[in-house]
Parts: sequence; C-alpha cells; structure tokens
Amino acid sequence: MRPEASVSRRQNRLVFRGQIVIATVPFLLSETEVIEPVRGGALTLDLAGVDHVDTAGVAFLDALRSRIEKNGLECRIENAGERNARTLEVFSSRKFDSQAPVRPPGRENIFEKLGGRAMRIFGNLHQFFLLLADTFYYAIIGLFNRRGMRKGDFINQSILIGMNSLPIVGLISFLIGFILALQSAAQLRQFGAAIFVADLIAIAMTREMGPLITAIVLAGRSGSAITAEIATMMVTEETDALRSMALNPVRYVVVPKVYAITMTMPMLTILSMLIGIFGAMVIGLVYLDIGMEPFYREVVNALILKDILTGFIKSVVFAWLIVMIGAYYGFQVRTGAEEVGRATTASVVASIFWVILADSLLGLAFYLGQPVFV
Amino acid sequence: MSQNKNLPVIATDLTAGFGGTRVLDSVSMDAAEHSITMILGASGCGKTTLLKNLIRLLDPWSGSIRIFGQEITGMDEPEFNGILRGIGVLFQNGALLNSISIAENVAIPLEQHTELPRELISRLARVKLGLVGLENASSRFPSELSGGMRKRAALARAIALDPPLLFCDEPSSGLDPVTASGLDHLLLEMRDKLGMTLVIVSHTVSSIQRIADRIVFMDAGKVLFRGTIREARSAGIEKMEEFFKNG
Repeated sequence: MRPEASVSRRQNRLVFRGQIVIATVPFLLSETEVIEPVRGGALTLDLAGVDHVDTAGVAFLDALRSRIEKNGLECRIENAGERNARTLEVFSSRKFDSQAPVRPPGRENIFEKLGGRAMRIFGNLHQFFLLLADTFYYAIIGLFNRRGMRKGDFINQSILIGMNSLPIVGLISFLIGFILALQSAAQLRQFGAAIFVADLIAIAMTREMGPLITAIVLAGRSGSAITAEIATMMVTEETDALRSMALNPVRYVVVPKVYAITMTMPMLTILSMLIGIFGAMVIGLVYLDIGMEPFYREVVNALILKDILTGFIKSVVFAWLIVMIGAYYGFQVRTGAEEVGRATTASVVASIFWVILADSLLGLAFYLGQPVFV
Repeated sequence: MSQNKNLPVIATDLTAGFGGTRVLDSVSMDAAEHSITMILGASGCGKTTLLKNLIRLLDPWSGSIRIFGQEITGMDEPEFNGILRGIGVLFQNGALLNSISIAENVAIPLEQHTELPRELISRLARVKLGLVGLENASSRFPSELSGGMRKRAALARAIALDPPLLFCDEPSSGLDPVTASGLDHLLLEMRDKLGMTLVIVSHTVSSIQRIADRIVFMDAGKVLFRGTIREARSAGIEKMEEFFKNG
C-alpha cells in the first residue's frame, strides 16, 4: 500500500498525519514551502498523528525546523511518541546545521594555474624518465639474468604483440600500397611515367609508410592493451603484491614486453613494406599493364640500403615509444575502472602523436640536406 | 520452514553453482520481517553464492526464491528492478564507484529513485555517512579511504533509501573490534527503529552472538541448521559447535 501523509495548520501548530517517509516527503515539502506568519514567536510540529518516520522524514523535519529557526522563530516537535522520538534522535541531521558546508577549494589565479601545470608537466616527465631508466636497466640486466621475469612471457608477448597483429598490419599495408599506387598512377600516366609508380611506392613504403602504418596499428592494438593491463594491475593492487614478493613490477611486467616488441616490430615493419609494394604491384599489373618482373626490377633499382635501414631504425624507435608510453600511462592509474579507460585512451593518443613526431624528426635527421630521391 | 508466503525472503530447494560445479545443494531458508537472519559457515561453504542468488546476481539451477512474497526466479528485469528498489546490498569489498566522492556514492540511489530536492539529498547523504562515522570524510574519494572506511561508506549507500530489506556480505570483516561493535549496534537500530529485515552473511562469531535473531548454518553447500542461537547450542551439530568454539 502506498504511504500517505497530510499536514494542516492550526494556529501555531503544524499538525502532521500518516507517514513521514521517503515517498511522502516531496508532497510534504511542497505543502510546507510557504509558512504563514506565526504569532507569539514559536511554531510547534505536532506528530501525534504520525505512524512512522524514516530517515528521509527526519531529514525533512530537521530541514523544516532549521528554515523556521533561521527566520528568528522557535520551533519544537511535540507528541512524537517514544519510537518516533528515538528515530528523530538517532537519525538527526541537526548537528550539520552548525557546521560549515563542505566547500570546493577556492579558484586559482592565473599564476597558480600556470605554476601548477608546469609542476605537473615536470612531475610527469620525472616519472616517465624514472620508468625509462628502470626499464632500460632491467632490460639490460634481464639479458644476463632471467630472474624476476615470468618464464615464457617473452614468447607469449611476442605472439600477442607481434604475431596476432600480422593480419591487420598486412591488410592495411596492402590497401595503403594499393591506394597510393592507384592515385599516383592516375597522375604519372599523363606524362608517360607510369613505371615510376614502382619507385614511388617502394621508397614511400620503406622510408615512411611501412614503419608508420605498423606503429599506428600497434599503438592502437598493443599500446592500449599494455596500458589497460598495467592499469588494472594497479587498481587491483597486483603491482603491490609483486613488490611484496620482492619482484619489481617494471622488470616483471614491462621488460618482457620491451623484448617482444623490439623483436617483432621490425619484422612486422618489413612485412608491411613488402605487402604494401605487392599492393602497388597489383595495380601495376591490372591498371598500368606493367608486368611483375619489370615492376620488381624498378623497385630494386629505386631502393638503396639506407631506405631499408631508415625504416628499420624507425620501427625500433616507434616500438620503444609505444611500450614506454603504454606502461607509463598504466602506472599512473591509482583509483578505478573509469581511470583505466581514461588512461588507455590517453595512451593511444599520446603514442600516435609521439610516433608521428618522432617520424618527422627522424625523417629530417636522415634526409636533411640531401636530394629527396637519393 | 515457515508456511507464511509473505515473508521478506524465502528460498526453497535452491540448487546453484558455476559451470558444472554445484555450490548450493537444495538450500532452503527464510528471513522473518523486522529480524536479523545471519548465514554462517566456513569459507567456501556457499554463503556468498546464496546471497548472490537471493539478489539475482546469479541465477539458480533450480528451486524457488520469493522476495516480499513474489517469486523472482524468471521474473523480467523491469519488474525485478521494482523489487530491487526495496533492497539494499552491502558487498564484501564495498563496491563503491571510485570516480566520485563517497557522499556522491550515497546520493546515487536517492537521485535515481526519489523526487527529493538536491538540498535534502545532500542532507540525507551526510546523515547516512554520519551514522557510519564518516561525516567528516564526505568529500573524499574511495581510494583515499581505508578498507574499513570504504565498507562503512558502502553501508551508508546501501541504507540510503531506508530499504525494508538489507543484505550484507561480511559487514564486519576487516574492521577493528570497536568499529565492528558500533556497526552491529547500527544494524540493530536499523531493525528496531526503521523496521528493516536484515540478511547477513558472516563468520564473525562475536557479531553473530550480538545481533542474530536467527541463524542459518551452512556446510559444503547444504544447510545444516536453521533456528535461534539458543537452539543451535543444543542442536548437537558437531561442525557448528566447532565453528562457534573456534570462531
């Protein structure tokens, strides 16, 4: 049965009936929104007809009394009965009236904001370089001493990061090579230079697109997984448990991933280059009537060792960026599920940004001051 | 077992488990109105699984569960949500939402299921936190609290709506004796002043002796005893005697 309540005014008394409970409080609030002036300076809340009061009812009566008293009037409760009086006493919120409300911290001025942001950036950089130093140290130590790492983890991680990424890296590389060749062929054909599609794709795939496609796929696929795994371990205190067992979480969790990605990323990158060139070869064959043999010869003529090495070096740098950024964001998580999601997103965005920035810097370093096709 | 089909909780011949492993074997129990029923037994005996079945976090393989007189097995979700509004649950690890303050955690059911104005919700949240001794920690986040404080904050959230039925999974585990005793007195107040029915999973003997009206003793997925503590003492069940002696 739905609880009911009523309130009526009799001179200096507000007479309540029924149940003052969570379901009836909104009605009682609207009924007592305006309280007519009181003669004699005191108002009584008469609970004689009240069967039951719950905690929401107590909060309502307390708020009503506070409101009346703020207007300089006296307010008291009468005829509550033993049970309701005890409920009013046990669940009273009156003590909070005298306490200052909880206020959010004051607004910062522009200098405090700038200073705070600078401190955070330096703090984050400090944390990142500490993690980098730990990882580097344990990665070197781990080459000679396998203790502190889970057996078989290197193989597992190589499969997770490398082998399982192969289908998607392959598919995207094929499509990119295919599309690049298609678009450039349309232009080069007009000058009778269709054969140079092979040169263009070979150089683009080895120097830029191969490492970049692989890195972006791995940042989204493996970087996010690294962050989510470490962040969840932080939330569930697994990293604390590792520390309590005298195991360094960086050595136990991060180092096998560093080994795995350092080995698999260059392999994936080389496969990406080859599959991308194959995609272009398909366009040569179908759209430009260039046979596979002349296409292959043109590719071999166009490439020099430096192009392959550039892609190779880039892939290793990108691999370390992905794993370090993924691990860094994972270790920053302290609280719960929401922060895990936020850290994972931030990690992917940061990885892709830093990969592209590093690609630009390495491109400049390798080819600055030289003719482009040398 | 009582024949009154309108008791707040009645489970009959409940069999349940995970995958192919049977955890509950023909379990029957009930909880009378305005009483505290405690489910006890050694770790792994199926107490928490029983509790999760009673609130339908797990579906039983067979048997019947009646909450407030209504059969909930097979009930559709919107209808069961209506029943859940009359139920509070305190989980073993608190299960607070970590991204918001504990006052906001307590306010969630009040905001979602009532028409109360914000000012009153805020007041009520502070009252509930005050009841569990956390009035000065209302703006803190769960990650900033100790395990015991988190559990008390979770209790404040569980009682936010003054539910007529409250399920608690190990409320005093991880608490110091003084806080645990205070919590027991609070649970008694819930029963006496607000007329709540409480079903509590516990293996803390001191707490059981302090507040239980009736106990359900479980072992290896079966109910070995149902009754009062006084009846339990003379029941002559060896495992139960051992539990009380060593607990």
